[in-house]
Amino acid sequence: MREPDVHLSDRELVLAADGELSTSRERHLAACGTCRARLRDLERAVADFAGVHRGTLDPLLPRPDAPRARLRARLAEAASGKPIGRQFWFRPWHAAAAGALALILTVGVLSLYQWRWSRANGLVDVPSPRLTPGAARKVDREELCNSALPKNQVVPADLRRRVFQAYGMANADPRAYEVDYLITPALGGDDDIRNLWPQPYVSTVWNARVKDALEDRLRDMVCRGQLDLAEAQRDISTDWIAAYKKYFQTNVPAR
Amino acid sequence: MAAMPALEIEPRGRTLEEEVVELFDSFREPLLRYLASFGLPLADGEEIVQEVFLSLFQHLRRGGGRTNLRGWLFRVAHNLGLKRRSRTPRGSNALWKWMPDPAPGPEEQFFTGETERRVQAVLRALPEQDRRCLTLRAEGLRYREIAETLAMSLGAVSLSLARSLARIARAAGR
Repeated sequence: MREPDVHLSDRELVLAADGELSTSRERHLAACGTCRARLRDLERAVADFAGVHRGTLDPLLPRPDAPRARLRARLAEAASGKPIGRQFWFRPWHAAAAGALALILTVGVLSLYQWRWSRANGLVDVPSPRLTPGAARKVDREELCNSALPKNQVVPADLRRRVFQAYGMANADPRAYEVDYLITPALGGDDDIRNLWPQPYVSTVWNARVKDALEDRLRDMVCRGQLDLAEAQRDISTDWIAAYKKYFQTNVPAR
Repeated sequence: MAAMPALEIEPRGRTLEEEVVELFDSFREPLLRYLASFGLPLADGEEIVQEVFLSLFQHLRRGGGRTNLRGWLFRVAHNLGLKRRSRTPRGSNALWKWMPDPAPGPEEQFFTGETERRVQAVLRALPEQDRRCLTLRAEGLRYREIAETLAMSLGAVSLSLARSLARIARAAGR
């Protein structure tokens, strides 16, 4: 602890200005003209600075009306849970960011357009009849049902790439799609690009998992003798969604 | 110049948006003046202040603490100011234009006294951190709040201020 007669350090001086000095040092300050003068000088210097600072800057500050109105609008957006908008259009990097955003939106709109076009042409939920008409091996029912074929064989990477390219989806995320056999190998489908198409897992109602259920149902019916193999192949390759509705007796796929 | 007591607000039956706008009205100018020390264009200063109050809104909405919101506001403004400045090249739009030239024209001399001009010249020559310490004090922050805002020790704040204030006192002829 400092002796009461030792002058205040710079640190103690600033603490004194905030009234945070210890009792013993307060006693020194009260008794010491030198320290009181230093404290007075410190406070006057800050006041001088504050006067110059405000006198210089305050005339340059715009009125608060417009910024306040803008804040109110942004708070209302935030309160409603909408993303908070930023208005940075007037500086170069913001313009660059806006340009990039515009590009992304353009690509997005084109992708959406392509997706809608694809839906209209049966390229997403159902394959293109031109690109994927379906192809089957020569196999009879007994051979098929007695073999331990995997339900869907792994499609080689090179063939997968060619399928995506054929559908104009070379840049699509391959994890979002199953390159699917239109006629599953479990029903005699062939390992041929004419029998393969990129089917989304989750982005549509009629997705890969729904089709897998149909394939299981058809193979089961074929192997039980309830359905002709050629008819099963024809139904699934012509319109698998219609086949699902027919064999599951429903218009909505089970979840 | 005495510091203001730490700001602590309590909800008083207003909406959170109203509370935030009320604080905006009280602190927009102090924050803009503080952001002047970052060498940013005024438009950037305004944008940062908007961001500060949107952050405050989110902070309070999440149930964040209401103790010493003044220190909180300056601390967030400080961090955003540093971040913005790292992305803004110094140039003709820099905030230095906020501060009058050390050799002002006749119209500036009309409202600027000799002492003020000398003090301004000192301020312009101060290291950035020293100027920030001074600015925060001039805006009423307590020294402990300044230390917290600038991530400095109290000892470093006091040394910085002692250095700056001695220069200003000399410039003011004391």
